[in-house]
Amino acid sequence: MRFILQMARREIRASWRRLLFFFACIAVGVGAIAAGRSMLQNAHSAMTSEARNLLTADVQLDSGRPWEPEALSLIDKVTTPIALGKTETIESPTMARPADSAHEGAMMVELKGIDSAFPLVGDFTLTDGRSFDYSLIQNNGAVASVSLLDRLQLKVGDEVKIGVTTFQVRATIDQEPGRGAGFRIGPRVFIERSALEGAGLTGFGSRARRKLLFTVPEDKMGPMVRQLREGLRNNLINVRSYRDSQENLNESFSRAEDYSSLTGLVILVLGGIGISNVTRVFIEQKRKAIAVLKCIGATGRRITVAYLAQVITMGVVGSAFGVLFGKAVLLLIQGVFSDKLPPYMTYGLRASAAAQGVAVGIMISILFSALPLLHIRHIRPNVLLRDNSASKQGRFDLLRWSVAVFVILGLLFVVSWQGGGVRVGLIFLGGLVVAAGALYAGATLLIFLVRRTRSLTSFALRQAINSLHRPGNQTRIIVMVVGLGVFAVLSVQSLQTNFIHELDRGRTGDLPDMFLIDIQTDQSQGVSDIVTETMGTPPILVPTVRTRIVAINGKDIDLNEAEVKRERGRLGREYVVTYRPNLEKNESIVAGKFWDPTPSPDAEVSIEESLRGVSGLEVGGEISFDVQGHKLVARVTSVRHVDWRNSRTGFVILFRPGTLEKAPQMMVGALNGPSGEVERSRFQRTLVDKFPNISVIDVADVARAIERIINNITLAVSFVASFVLLTGALILIGSLAMTKFQRIYEVAVLKTLGAKRKVLLVILIAEYSLIGLVAGIIGSLASVGLSYSTSKWVFEIPWSFTPVVNFGGIGATIVLVTVVGTLATVDVLSRKPLATLRAQ
Amino acid sequence: MIELYRVSKVVPSGAEMLTILQPLDMTIPGGQFVAVVGPSGSGKSTLLGLIAGLDAPTAGEIRIDGQPITAMNEDSLAELRGNKIGFIFQSFHLIPSLTALENIMVPMEIAGVRDAQRRARHLLEDVDLIARSHHYPSQLSGGEQQRVAIAQAFANDPSIMLADEPTGNLDSHNGRHVFELMVEMNRKRNATLVLVTHDHELAALADRRISLRDGRVVSDSDSVELEEEQTLEATRS
Repeated sequence: MRFILQMARREIRASWRRLLFFFACIAVGVGAIAAGRSMLQNAHSAMTSEARNLLTADVQLDSGRPWEPEALSLIDKVTTPIALGKTETIESPTMARPADSAHEGAMMVELKGIDSAFPLVGDFTLTDGRSFDYSLIQNNGAVASVSLLDRLQLKVGDEVKIGVTTFQVRATIDQEPGRGAGFRIGPRVFIERSALEGAGLTGFGSRARRKLLFTVPEDKMGPMVRQLREGLRNNLINVRSYRDSQENLNESFSRAEDYSSLTGLVILVLGGIGISNVTRVFIEQKRKAIAVLKCIGATGRRITVAYLAQVITMGVVGSAFGVLFGKAVLLLIQGVFSDKLPPYMTYGLRASAAAQGVAVGIMISILFSALPLLHIRHIRPNVLLRDNSASKQGRFDLLRWSVAVFVILGLLFVVSWQGGGVRVGLIFLGGLVVAAGALYAGATLLIFLVRRTRSLTSFALRQAINSLHRPGNQTRIIVMVVGLGVFAVLSVQSLQTNFIHELDRGRTGDLPDMFLIDIQTDQSQGVSDIVTETMGTPPILVPTVRTRIVAINGKDIDLNEAEVKRERGRLGREYVVTYRPNLEKNESIVAGKFWDPTPSPDAEVSIEESLRGVSGLEVGGEISFDVQGHKLVARVTSVRHVDWRNSRTGFVILFRPGTLEKAPQMMVGALNGPSGEVERSRFQRTLVDKFPNISVIDVADVARAIERIINNITLAVSFVASFVLLTGALILIGSLAMTKFQRIYEVAVLKTLGAKRKVLLVILIAEYSLIGLVAGIIGSLASVGLSYSTSKWVFEIPWSFTPVVNFGGIGATIVLVTVVGTLATVDVLSRKPLATLRAQ
Repeated sequence: MIELYRVSKVVPSGAEMLTILQPLDMTIPGGQFVAVVGPSGSGKSTLLGLIAGLDAPTAGEIRIDGQPITAMNEDSLAELRGNKIGFIFQSFHLIPSLTALENIMVPMEIAGVRDAQRRARHLLEDVDLIARSHHYPSQLSGGEQQRVAIAQAFANDPSIMLADEPTGNLDSHNGRHVFELMVEMNRKRNATLVLVTHDHELAALADRRISLRDGRVVSDSDSVELEEEQTLEATRS
């Protein structure tokens, strides 16, 4: 044991510099795992502890419809004896515009009507530092987000019109209770609940959501929620406690944490491949020393264990540095992204995350070095007498195969542990093997092709191409890992560009770029006139009816039933439906037969394919609808595919004319608005001045908001992908350090033969440029494949080649690899050749 | 005692088989100083490697102190070398990442000797290199490296010392010094010494001389007979 420890210590002392960069790969991977897990654990605990604040209550009931008297009396009966506090809110997206006609513009806002008891839980602070006071919004007062005033060029004290009422903005919001990090269609405006109802925004067809909020003693919360759910089971009233939110958060965060850990694991596995290679080269270089040890009495097993102890030590040290690196990453995230993350987020490194990172780092070090270390057994001591021995290996090496199986099982264990299941582990490993294999094969092919061009006249280039095949050079591994990093970065950049193209198409193409909603039937003509006056053409107006599904094939929908709960997104919601005699251009029938254009008194529906199969729904089945309190049974006669990208207005459920015409309905309008931002704003203002209940959704605004989200996602993914690139650069540096002695010898020989330093420098630069070029091409090609397939089959958006991203990416890779490689080896040019040649 | 029975070595050379050692029998009693001489390619180093268990014979049996080593596996052979055999190479073969002192300590550490460092210091004193104990091989001259290698080979007091042209890479002055040191240390320990050399002067100092040519023993005699043969060879040439 003493010998093993002493040898490990001495070997580390002698070779840690050469091995440093490979263990830096471990540090990067461990850092990524520790930082990713810590970040999500922090977010989880912050959000769990904030769950009550985010709900602004202990229990919340919400409904998209006015409270029905029976439901209200049940709620009162259950809650009155228990609740400590109660308040009610109404939220509705609607239009706001300056009351002063001298000010132009109108914009969609998220209006929230509250009572004096709001908020039951949480802080509500204003930008002037004061706490919110209900008196600010009494008597037609409003408190709004700063962005509303900025956009409409107003200041505190000015008035805005919302619906038919004028409100004075008396303060701006700093921190709003219940504000998550989710998507919002417009700035928040708080007014009195009674004022919201008085503004004409809660009448028929409105999209207002009502919430009843309660604080209750902790021990009574569970029973109260159960009682409410039981009593309200067939109403579209959602009952939720902050504990439910916490449970949902637990599940989603645990999954997110596992996925984030897999990203770190990709880096570790790539680093592991590097380690495997460096160990192989290292052992090859240590052949004579190992033979000497065998000659003086050390057994192969003891030498192997000594080198394994060295690997473990460096794995531990690398992992420990990884923890420090993880901490640095968290500080970086805090510095760069804190304005995009919730204010209650913390950025500490979690002990359990760090421990997991270290454990994985050490395991990966051992697993990936195990097979190369076994080579020690085959080094015969007679190499000291006659160095002609290509190490002899038996036909079937049981130990080697056993270790190989152990390594695979070990990897599967690590991946399954980090990924949260054997299935995820298998998929991850399989995917990684396929991706790495494809990149490796591509790298091999490209390097082979490059080698075919050795007949070039340029000596430097010929020499550079030869250098790619230097023994132990690991060119293919470097190309694979750098290529993988390039692939990840370029894929996300290319997808981002395609998404933004798609958004631009939405803004500039033939499709409508403005939607008018909540138009009452008697307002149709007036709206049409205004649009025609401004744009020259009338809008497309589509009648809509609000319904909900109450039964499928005669079986009532019980919202507490397991399957219904699973399908809650489809069955537990309200559907806005329409009727028309024909299919739109973007629709096609995939099953059944579409109806004749003639109206029919028998209710017939065509469903969109996503609804097919839900609760056994097929062509010939029956859906029972509740249409504003009236039951209507309709037969499914066809299933449609809807190309949502090209839809003016899309509907999941379409009725045949003849049954819905008499139902209470609203109109939806689609049009192409004016082109300039000012003109668009003016047009919206004109419309809302005349019809205050109508809301205008400006595609340009929505696209801007989505673009912001896409940019943030791209930034986050690129941030992670850059770690893979960093690993590639580290393996490059490490591999160069490993083979530096060969390079020094070659340079010495070339200098002796008359090569000048300039020529030698050109050879170095050409070699790294070639590696960068090959890695860039590989990564770029793979990214084209991924962005094309995900655009086409996952996001269903048109794909176009992104030359700036792809060619720019290749160029950037060449520069990166050349700079890193040249800096890491340029010192070999300054060595005197004689000393090198003598030492050989 | 070293015993060889019908030991031969054949290796593949391209498509053909090359015989390096013809079947030979030999016995070297304990404490004897034997010089093995012969031209390049005669099989001297191969013979030494086979005795040390660094390589396996194609046929025949080798016994060290009565123990057959031919059928031993690599690990048993390594242990045998650690306990009984010291080896000195022409090109020193010190471990470059270890200091002079550590190179000497390693065989003792492998054998589990407790006071390895103290004993290694004594050995360094014996080879007059105590001042260079913390120097790495690359910081030592060829003669110094070979003296460290001798100290290393004697570290575990082996009963058999095998030396493969230990002075071959040294100038005559250093070579002589190293040779005397090696013989002196060997005499003190009364170990068997098998020396492969090209140097007839050095060979003449051995108790017995074995001459090889094309893998065969062409003569095996004591020192007096050797001198006669040497004269005869000189006359022929």
